[in-house]
Amino acid sequence: MKFEGLKQILPDNALLLSEESRRVYECDALSAHRVMPGCVVLPNSVEQVQAVLKYCYTNDIPVVARGAGTGLSGGAMPHEDGVLLSLAKFDQIAEVDPLQKIARVQPGVRNLAISAAAKPYGLYYAPDPSSQIACTIGGNVAENSGGVHSLKYGLTVHNILQIKIVTIEGELITLGSHALDTPGYDLLALFTGSEGMLGVIVEVTVKLLPKPPCSRVLLAAFDDIEKAGNSVAGIIANGIIPAGLEMMDKAAIRAVEDFIHAGYPIDAEAILLCELDGSEEEMLANISKVENLLNEYGAIEVRIARDDDESQRFWAGRKAAFPAVGRIAPDYYCMDGTIPRKHIAKVLSEINALSEKYKLAVVNVFHAGDGNLHPLILYDVAISDELKRAEEFGSEILELCISVGGTITGEHGVGVEKIREMCVQFSENELQQFHAVKKAFDAKGLLNPGKAVPTLNRCAEFGAMHVHQGKDKFPELERF
Amino acid sequence: MEKKLKAIKQQILTAIERGESLKIIGGNSKVFLGRDTVGSEINMADYSGVISYEPTELYITVRAGTLLSVITKLLAEQGQMLAFEPAEINDKTTIGGVIATGLSGPRRPYSGSARDFVLGVRCINGLAKELSFGGQVMKNVAGYDLSRLMTGAYGTLGIITEVTLKVLPQSEFESTGVKVVSRQQALSEIHDISSRAAPVSASCYDGEKMIVRFSGNEKFVKESLKSTGFEEYKKGNEFWKELRDYNLSIFHTDKPIWRLSVPSASNVNLENDDYLIDWGGSQYWLASDRSPNEIFTMADDLGGSALLFRGGDRNGDVFQPLSSGLFKLQQELKRAFDPHKVLNLEKMYVNI
Repeated sequence: MKFEGLKQILPDNALLLSEESRRVYECDALSAHRVMPGCVVLPNSVEQVQAVLKYCYTNDIPVVARGAGTGLSGGAMPHEDGVLLSLAKFDQIAEVDPLQKIARVQPGVRNLAISAAAKPYGLYYAPDPSSQIACTIGGNVAENSGGVHSLKYGLTVHNILQIKIVTIEGELITLGSHALDTPGYDLLALFTGSEGMLGVIVEVTVKLLPKPPCSRVLLAAFDDIEKAGNSVAGIIANGIIPAGLEMMDKAAIRAVEDFIHAGYPIDAEAILLCELDGSEEEMLANISKVENLLNEYGAIEVRIARDDDESQRFWAGRKAAFPAVGRIAPDYYCMDGTIPRKHIAKVLSEINALSEKYKLAVVNVFHAGDGNLHPLILYDVAISDELKRAEEFGSEILELCISVGGTITGEHGVGVEKIREMCVQFSENELQQFHAVKKAFDAKGLLNPGKAVPTLNRCAEFGAMHVHQGKDKFPELERF
Repeated sequence: MEKKLKAIKQQILTAIERGESLKIIGGNSKVFLGRDTVGSEINMADYSGVISYEPTELYITVRAGTLLSVITKLLAEQGQMLAFEPAEINDKTTIGGVIATGLSGPRRPYSGSARDFVLGVRCINGLAKELSFGGQVMKNVAGYDLSRLMTGAYGTLGIITEVTLKVLPQSEFESTGVKVVSRQQALSEIHDISSRAAPVSASCYDGEKMIVRFSGNEKFVKESLKSTGFEEYKKGNEFWKELRDYNLSIFHTDKPIWRLSVPSASNVNLENDDYLIDWGGSQYWLASDRSPNEIFTMADDLGGSALLFRGGDRNGDVFQPLSSGLFKLQQELKRAFDPHKVLNLEKMYVNI
């Protein structure tokens, strides 16, 4: 048994071999893709992680790192002959330094737990993916997670200072520092969003921000989705960067209203939620500017939250969107493309056309401020070909995003889910460059094999070789 | 423009064939930076022009040789800016050089660094392959983030041909305050102010006075200036411009200029050196004759790093030496982009 040697490295109960104990780990939040891991390890020290990786390196065993398993692209889907490396036991906050406004934490610490620990100092950690109650900071770094407030406060890459990683050869290396600039290549940026392909993260230092003194939410209803889209551009053109700027379409408004009765106007074609924050003067000035703009752009109704409680109520509907959709369909498939904002209306109408084509309903919620769409495709896995249709539908949405100058993934990562669309978004030369980078860190290709970057052969197999400008992208490869 | 790209690729292929290396030049405004490098020149200054600028999408795409002054003027016309406040030297600075060196100005601790604002990069690697990474949207996690990796790589991984940057609205109102305090007082006050969500956009200490810029809502800015006990500094705008462009008196010296990047609460041993503290205590400028070894050791002990910014021995260590593990990774990365070591040979480190 190739996993036997791991017993010498790990404490009791940290190596799971039985089928029932491994079963829990067979998928992440992309539950349509499942693989039973060869074994599961739960180390509790950096030294153990180093020893496990060294062992795997020596014995050519694939390794897949896993945080809380909330990822939506199958990035933590196990390898059947490999080790599933859970970082769940790394759940300690090493320090919160209010003077430098940083927190140094282990990778298994939950996103929201960091803000909770910083709260007594009036500080918080800005990136807030919707899974923040459960997802861990190690996974956030691996995926470069965003969230509702990333328009103003940035993604994970903008909010971390330093990480400690263990290479596949078992070496512990620090990337970045507690200073702002670090010498040499920016490996911290490279590692952020690298989906567990380059190394295993064992510690993260995040930046903390002072909590804005005031914030308030506006809700605007539109009878036309294009007007809603234009008002987003209008707000930004007027020099205002809202803390959050979210849009929901009619289907989403109805699903949410049926679920939690947030008081959303159910006849609207779209609603926009706009959060403004800052000092009281700044916030009030911006509220009145945005209110005028929304009216100018044809909102049929604008509501301004009177206080924090009402702001929370306005948000509650948006935050309940996913569970609300879960209530109206047995299964849903969440997409994650990003597009230039100006194409919102066009892309939405094409998504609706695709919905007809595939005979599957779709609900649209999105981070309108940064053009990040989350169409939720409704399906029922029990009905013979619905999953297949949902996946094909999703794939067409992503190609639509590429065609308007966007990207296949804004914040969920490629994982196993969007590996095929990577062949469309990137050229052969670019994919080869990605593989060369991977090789620089992991020459044997043991870390998270088969994820994030497709091999050229795989692209050829997919037949996803869309002919670009009359040129076949991979002329030297055989077709089968 | 296609012709230029073709010529660059040909130059690379010829250099590979002859076993030579190439020196990448933009506006030559920061030629003093980095280690001396050899080889025939690839001049990017004539590869210029704005490709697309959409104020409401908050991005601008430009060719590498575009003058920074052209970009800032264009953005200002729409009330926008590059929020990392890059240096503009003698109106020669190109955007390619700004991104290749990855240096940021006074606003950096409050708005983000050059790499934070990079959305996409087109480049030609050391195998003469044209590549494009990232794009024009704010959120993009498809593939490794190679556009940010190119930022600050001093052209050693690829020749940047095109850059897309996120832009932001200019502040509605700005005002600079000044007060005479001790160094300790300045450092503790700036920590104090910045943990209170005050609208600070730059802060420094020149050895005598603490100078802070407030940006944002006019009423809030004026109140903040008053409540923190600052006097308005009339020459504020010129001051920040001179600091940004390395033009304050500390930079006019025959001594080597060092840039220290350290954790903001560091207690830096300044001895008798002329100094200036920027970035709320996390960036120090020193004019010093101390040995590189002494300065590198001091920076390392503080958990930071030193850069021999200008002067001194440009054939020795200019950037903080790296740990062996890090150095090995950087060598492997160099091999991944430029296996024949054609591009800006040893500009950053010996053997990279």
